[in-house]
Amino acid sequence: MSEQMDGDQSSQSRYQKIEFLGEGQFATVFKARDSQTDQIVAVKKIKIGSRAEARDGINRTALREIKLMQELHHENVLGLLDVFGHQSDISLVFDYMITDLETLIKDTRVILYPAHVKCYTLQCLKGLEYLHLNWVLHRDLKPNNLLIDENGILKIGDFGLAKFFGSPRVYTHQVVTRWYRAPELLFGARIYGTGVDMWAVGCILAELLLRLPFLPGETDLDQISKIFQCMGTPTEETWPGVTKLPDYVEFKGFPGTQFEEIFTAAGDDLLELLRKLLAMDPLNRCTCTEALKMDYFSNKPNPSDPSDLPLPSKFKKLQGAKRKVEADDSPAARKIRF
Amino acid sequence: MNLKSVSKMTTKNDSNPPNPLGISWHDSAWINVLDGSNVLEYFSDRSNPFYDRTCNNETVRMQRLDPEVMNDMTGLEYILLHVQDPILYIIRKQHRHSRTQVTPQADYYVLAGVVYQAPDLNTALNSRLLSTVYHLQGAFEQTHSFSRYHPSRGYWWDFGKEEDPQKDKASDQKENGSLFQRRRVDLLLGELARRFPPKIAAPAQPVAASAVTANPAPQASAAAGIGGPAPVQNGNSTSAGNNAAPSAATGGGGRGPIRPGGGGVSQGKS
Repeated sequence: MSEQMDGDQSSQSRYQKIEFLGEGQFATVFKARDSQTDQIVAVKKIKIGSRAEARDGINRTALREIKLMQELHHENVLGLLDVFGHQSDISLVFDYMITDLETLIKDTRVILYPAHVKCYTLQCLKGLEYLHLNWVLHRDLKPNNLLIDENGILKIGDFGLAKFFGSPRVYTHQVVTRWYRAPELLFGARIYGTGVDMWAVGCILAELLLRLPFLPGETDLDQISKIFQCMGTPTEETWPGVTKLPDYVEFKGFPGTQFEEIFTAAGDDLLELLRKLLAMDPLNRCTCTEALKMDYFSNKPNPSDPSDLPLPSKFKKLQGAKRKVEADDSPAARKIRF
Repeated sequence: MNLKSVSKMTTKNDSNPPNPLGISWHDSAWINVLDGSNVLEYFSDRSNPFYDRTCNNETVRMQRLDPEVMNDMTGLEYILLHVQDPILYIIRKQHRHSRTQVTPQADYYVLAGVVYQAPDLNTALNSRLLSTVYHLQGAFEQTHSFSRYHPSRGYWWDFGKEEDPQKDKASDQKENGSLFQRRRVDLLLGELARRFPPKIAAPAQPVAASAVTANPAPQASAAAGIGGPAPVQNGNSTSAGNNAAPSAATGGGGRGPIRPGGGGVSQGKS
């Protein structure tokens, strides 16, 4: 990244703002054109945080993103292309992504076929496997953070909560958006591992199937209750050590619901994957590598090609016409449209 | 109680997946409330072995989408093909290629609440042929057991005494209909007879017919000459044709059945 050294002026002029994309708690995002490569990129301009945040010199989430993402390069992980500073601001340049999984799930005009679900899950697990093999915990996986580009490639984004893991140390349990938070985190576990990301993948996969958040808890306690209603209340037999977790509370013994009754259209191989991803005991939860080896990914139907994945209906006007022509066999139609 | 059951007709090879044509499925809790609007839901019960739950119907249902979108999807789907409340519903399994193009894969009929798969023509024909051959073979074997031979007497039939009890049994079974059934059949027959009275005006024609039979000899022989033997002769000599056959028959006279055929062929050549 030698460009970074070029200084503020050149970096500022290199990226030409096209439009405002959105605003988050810590940053504003613009769509911009890279004048050097003519590539469309997303520029995330970090807000100056509170005095306490700024005391360290830079916003912590931005620092995490810069620190981790500079070293991560994978097709299914959002690429950090450049970082530049201007006065006290700092800006991150990312691949430009047209949408995210949450938008797609909420768009009721979009039909998600089993092959589509498989393709998304596959891409998500591949990206996450890469992160875990490189000792990175994402800690905030949710449909909103799984970004999708115009070719249907899914990329894991938002590394604001991500962290290196491996050395036995204490982490905060206040991570992961509640609906995707693993039971051990809800019980206050301070030492945890890749299981927290795997649980979140399980919730995302369930949401892809149901088109609704799988476990939408309203409070942390309600979240635990929802999980137990679904999976059954854990005991020392089913989850050794659960009662010793810091915030453990005894719950009514829910028997749990059969996954077959929740995911009625899911095949047995898919149910098996869900059971492994959503195992209550984090030690029984599968890793990405194990998940990718499960029958679900080798059985029919094959995962669809990323370019065949659906796009939210607001892009249909643009892409729909193109897709229809591709589906149409007559070369004449193709010529006219292009 | 709620009884869901899959009935199997075949008992052999239970380890293999059962032949879908040999099984049926029903859920007795549903049978009384079945109608055209809920029969597809009944069919989509998870214990129904005919229902593939990876179909589009189930995907749409699980994702809480508008059922209308099924027409825009591709892949496996089930539709209600025919409704004959309250006894018969036909459900079709088909592969949808586009909004307008589908390939039917199987039909299922829900008869009095019990679901069966409709057989394909090949299986139906095979089954009919097999049962025909089976019964024919049985008849031959039984007949064979009655035939007797002695060098001096030749062949003869011996139906003996063991045949009588069988006959009694058979006739017993036939007459075993309940009093209700017998009365009902009588009633139905009577009603049919009233609705379609036998045509008594017919005697006008039989008079002519009896006139024909009154002077039997010439007429009968004429009739035989024109129409009667022709089909028989055709059956004997297939290639020689119509005009060859009678002459062959006359030429052959009473010498047995082999000659006429040969004569017919040679005449055909000349």
